[in-house]
Amino acid sequence: MPTLIKDGRVVSDDWVLREEVADSAVTPHTIVPASYALAHGEALSGDIGIWLPGDGEPDEIAPLLVKVPLIAIRFAAMNDGRGLSLAVLLRTRFGFTGELRAIGEVHEDVLHYMHRCGIDSYQLPDGHDPQVALTAMKSLSDFYQGSVLEPRPAFRRFARGRK
Amino acid sequence: MYRYDEFDQHFVDERVAQFRYQTQRYIDGTLSHADFLHLRLRNGLYIQRLAPMLRIAVPYGTLASRQLRMLAHIARYYDKGYGHLSTRQNMQFNWPDLAEVPDILADLATVQMHAIQTSGNCIRNVTADQFAGVAADEVVDGRPYCELIRQWSTAHPEFDWLPRKFKIAINGSASDRAAIDVHDIGLEARRDANGQVVFDVKVGGGLGRTPVLGSLIREALPDVHLLTYLESILRVYNRYGRRDNKYKARIKILVRAMSPEVFRQHVDAEWVHSKDGPTTLTREEIDRTVAAFTPPPYETLEADASLAAKRLVEPEFSRWVHTNVAPHKRSGYAIVTLSTKVTGVPPGDVTDVQMDAVADWADRFGFGEIRISHEQNFVLPDVRERDLFELWQLARGQRLASANLGKLTDIICCPGGDYCSLANAKSIPIAEAIQRRFDDIDYLYDLGDISLNISGCMNACGHHHVGHIGILGVDKKGEEWYQISLGGSAGRDSSLAEIIGPSFSRGAVPDVIDQILEVYVASREDGERFLDCYRRIGIDPFKERIYANAH
Repeated sequence: MPTLIKDGRVVSDDWVLREEVADSAVTPHTIVPASYALAHGEALSGDIGIWLPGDGEPDEIAPLLVKVPLIAIRFAAMNDGRGLSLAVLLRTRFGFTGELRAIGEVHEDVLHYMHRCGIDSYQLPDGHDPQVALTAMKSLSDFYQGSVLEPRPAFRRFARGRK
Repeated sequence: MYRYDEFDQHFVDERVAQFRYQTQRYIDGTLSHADFLHLRLRNGLYIQRLAPMLRIAVPYGTLASRQLRMLAHIARYYDKGYGHLSTRQNMQFNWPDLAEVPDILADLATVQMHAIQTSGNCIRNVTADQFAGVAADEVVDGRPYCELIRQWSTAHPEFDWLPRKFKIAINGSASDRAAIDVHDIGLEARRDANGQVVFDVKVGGGLGRTPVLGSLIREALPDVHLLTYLESILRVYNRYGRRDNKYKARIKILVRAMSPEVFRQHVDAEWVHSKDGPTTLTREEIDRTVAAFTPPPYETLEADASLAAKRLVEPEFSRWVHTNVAPHKRSGYAIVTLSTKVTGVPPGDVTDVQMDAVADWADRFGFGEIRISHEQNFVLPDVRERDLFELWQLARGQRLASANLGKLTDIICCPGGDYCSLANAKSIPIAEAIQRRFDDIDYLYDLGDISLNISGCMNACGHHHVGHIGILGVDKKGEEWYQISLGGSAGRDSSLAEIIGPSFSRGAVPDVIDQILEVYVASREDGERFLDCYRRIGIDPFKERIYANAH
């Protein structure tokens, strides 16, 4: 079973991820493909989540953003950063305030990037130690540039330079 | 020079600890080889043919003497007593022990250095004119902007996992010594009618398998908007750049596929949202960074009247002054390039003893500053003209006084098959064979300015596409062959070289170069440079001469 990390700890996952949905009977707390949700938008209840690949277009799912409490972004590989840009867009341009989850090839050493791009839960695949992930997430305590979490770069937050 | 504040130092220290943790997990076997690869690359560490290779960042090619002494120490203590100046103004060590790399990085951090993002598919070390701040023809000093980009791009949350590596260069002089046309982003810094610093932004240049010159997508970008505009370019690239084929993953392929105009529209559509946002630079932050590069306390000097007499007495010195000494902004000062290109030594290789010596000269004859040029030479930016003769004598003693800057033997050369696991062929022995063949200094001077660039593979680290003469190592059924091209240029008049024809065996290369030079010497008009001659007469006379016997 993959491990779910949220709010700086390992938590139990009360969502079920469906790679595909063949029938229209979707039980609550299921994460369905965004394409399915778009096709069945009216029928969706408040506790259905959606997932989309890292190269998904946020414009296309814009109608769903007010309805879904959770969006999962699938990372195709550890070194595929497309999902990071997608997360930034969902948070900043589309104003998504629900849970943003990383799924797929989620690597413990990439969590701190995801975190700063506005992703707030991480489904760590089997074979990855969640304790390592939690430690690695805290390895850098502050950053030069702004992010979803802290839009102000360092130079707008405090006086840079030697005293 | 820029000096770290507490924030910079804290960041670099934490980064060292982070990499130590990652390396330990790799050694323990809990981090896989494939996953560690991405992490070590972002900390400058390659696993090469014979050993690991560590590439240390020299931001925009600028070093303090104490930093160069630290590099000498690393060469001596952790390596085999030498390092290599790269074509991106960095320093590479070829023989570190993997387990010791975190210690090397910790040592570097004590002198405000690091190896962050010197490899991997991320924003690499930002490069600049090696004469920035001192060149007589400078309009804008690019270094403060390089530093601002360095900070913005370091561990960027969104742009550290790009489709491919990403190289940014800034030029701010009449000459383009930073080769901005062949970078993913090339920034031309200039002043607008009100004296404000603005940038012309070129995107999608690059060498490698598909050489392209960059396309201008924005003119006169005000400096405060530099980072938001770069962010917009990077976001378009990160989202839409190809990831299915590493040879088609550079931004140049995307720009070409979209067309520069459509790419520009995408960037502008992004920029609407971030322009004037929090990433916008403040005047205070720009001023703070510019202040870090205020000129050193120059003496008020007249041009050195005794220089002409010294040159008359010592023709070799005179030749060196002619080729390796460039005009300085300040009267009585000069910019000295110390050539590493000595026959028998791989281009760019320097020993620990040489590094210490150069650091000493920087302190004694300048203000403790050294530059590395993308042509793989050391530069002392602030030498009093009256000290040139003494410096030349000392440099001769360290074999750093070759008077061949810009000449045929000032070869740009990647490490090639001797070290690099990507290479198809060796490049260092080719450089040496050419240096041995053309060792007559009078002939070299008669030939004038000729750049000869050698790459051991398509990745083009030796910039062969922009050499007046370019040599590319290729693999033909397991054998090393060399393809030769003519007419490239990386300067203000940049152009990409044209391949002359079928490739040659290693042994034949010096003869072919000889034939090329013969055609040039026979065809040139009064004082005509090789490149200008080539542009006038075209490739055919060269082809005819070289392949005459093959028909």
